[in-house]
Amino acid sequence: MGTNSTGMMMISSSLSTSSASTSTWASTTSVSASGKRIQREMAELNMDPPPNCSAGPKGDNLYHWVATIIGPSGTPYQGGIYFLDITFPSDYPFKPPKVVFKTRIYHCNVDSTGNVSLEILKDSWSPALTITKVLLAIRSIFTNPDPYNPLVSGIALLYMTDRAKHDELAAEWTLRFAK
Amino acid sequence: MEDQNLDAVKSEEISDSFVCCVCLDLLYKPIVLHCGHVSCFWCVHKSMSGLRESHCPICRHPYNHFPTVCQMLHFLLLKMYPLAYKARELQILEEEKEIGSFSPQFDADAYNSQSKRDLENSACGEPCVEQLESSSYILANDANIPEQTSDENPEVTGIAIDREKKTPQNWHNGNCKQISIEDVLCAACKQLLFRPVVLNCGHVYCESCTVGIADETIKCQVCQSSHPKGLPKVCLEFGNFLQEQFPEEYALRRDAVQLKQVDSKNGGQTTSSSESSKQGDIMSCSIDSKVHIHVGCDVCGMYPIVGDRYRCKDCVEIIGFDLCGDCYNSRSKLPGRFNQKHTPEHKFELVSPNTSHNIMLRLVTGQIDGGSTLFITDYASENSENGSTPRPLSGVSEEDTENIMVIPATSIDDGAEEDLDDSQTTNQISTENPIEPH
Repeated sequence: MGTNSTGMMMISSSLSTSSASTSTWASTTSVSASGKRIQREMAELNMDPPPNCSAGPKGDNLYHWVATIIGPSGTPYQGGIYFLDITFPSDYPFKPPKVVFKTRIYHCNVDSTGNVSLEILKDSWSPALTITKVLLAIRSIFTNPDPYNPLVSGIALLYMTDRAKHDELAAEWTLRFAK
Repeated sequence: MEDQNLDAVKSEEISDSFVCCVCLDLLYKPIVLHCGHVSCFWCVHKSMSGLRESHCPICRHPYNHFPTVCQMLHFLLLKMYPLAYKARELQILEEEKEIGSFSPQFDADAYNSQSKRDLENSACGEPCVEQLESSSYILANDANIPEQTSDENPEVTGIAIDREKKTPQNWHNGNCKQISIEDVLCAACKQLLFRPVVLNCGHVYCESCTVGIADETIKCQVCQSSHPKGLPKVCLEFGNFLQEQFPEEYALRRDAVQLKQVDSKNGGQTTSSSESSKQGDIMSCSIDSKVHIHVGCDVCGMYPIVGDRYRCKDCVEIIGFDLCGDCYNSRSKLPGRFNQKHTPEHKFELVSPNTSHNIMLRLVTGQIDGGSTLFITDYASENSENGSTPRPLSGVSEEDTENIMVIPATSIDDGAEEDLDDSQTTNQISTENPIEPH
């Protein structure tokens, strides 16, 4: 059965000696299939958008979306509007979308270039997940940061040792960058 | 085509139970995984990992075998949503042409006549559990493998539409949405399915009709193929649908099954333990032994193949035709998973895994553990002959790179006609693989 992992591609290219895989059940995802799925997700998002989130294609390119998440109340991110870039791989949904924060945020799981550390966007990705679910997961790290798997260890440390100071800084950043 | 599709979907409201979790569209050629979750043929195939065990997209339940399409669900959906299903067929066919591999084709006539015959044969009112328990039990018409008619019919590859036109119109003229209980009968008790479970071969049974045989390898009564791992979980979507569709009959079946379970109270309990131990076997052997990355067995669906791999030298399809050791030795006559024109006359060769490839992958994916020293010596010895030259897809110069051990022609013929000696079947297989040859 098929070759279907970009991980595989990456590995075989790093192994410059063995270019083609031994695959016999090789399958390539047709572009039309991923496009159809993205269109269906778009329709679903328009029909039933998740609370305080929105998402849609940036322009004509179906594979490049922009999303917004409003900082949940009761958190230092309250009232902030966060923009995210979503890029779908051509073999979506068999590979996860890439999600990057375009708005600066003081958060231990988001680094200064906007990368998010979220397991479901990496190894725990499942083709049954949708952008709606990804946005909900990102919203949940606003409320519950994961300081044990940080991208910015300084922020994680502050979060665990001096929560009040952390929240103060985060609120300051929200005011500065996200409003 | 897009418009057609949308119109069809609009005119036939598709129940959420039959929307694939991966493509979010109407299920097409549905496959039911071990955990009871359903997805399309290609969606399951593309979701699988060619490197190690795969996980259900919904519940992440691990599995090692690509199951066969559930024909009962396939024909049920075709009957319920003729327009939408037809539109899906056209759409998938386009994609299949693009990628050059095709999903299996099914013949509605053969499927119908088979189920009718089954009904007639079922006149004997034996309790189904007993039938399943006796491993020597063979269905009266076992010569006829119902599920795959394509091996007698060499021109099937991918010409789905032409074939469909030839079949009588009873499946898709207008809105014959009414399904009957005859469409959803258990393969064992021939009654309305109650809590349906689907085996690796795609045949559907009541959960209660498979309980009691959990300690042995489960073997399908219809096609005689063994089901890897323990008892599959109930396909809840399908069960709920049946309950909605036939509320009275389903309730009656529930009463009958509960009565029977009170009679024989032991059984079911052992399932979980035997399943977990077998699972462990597979996982440990995938680390220690020969893994054929991105190669699947066309009969049992094991993917990637662990242990011996036999490659068909005569199949010309891009996707190839391969068997695992067990399926090679059991001389299964089932055709390939992707409509390959494989025939029993074709010759096989034993192929070693591309070891250098494997070791690099394991390094990258962090699979190497304490057992790695053994592996590296293995690698070193093989590498001298193996080299790591690029391997062309054409398969012409494969002998250079793949370290192929061609089996003498005589022994291949024997293999196709009669049982191979046990010495030939490599002791390794039996320990590596929990699936017993038939």
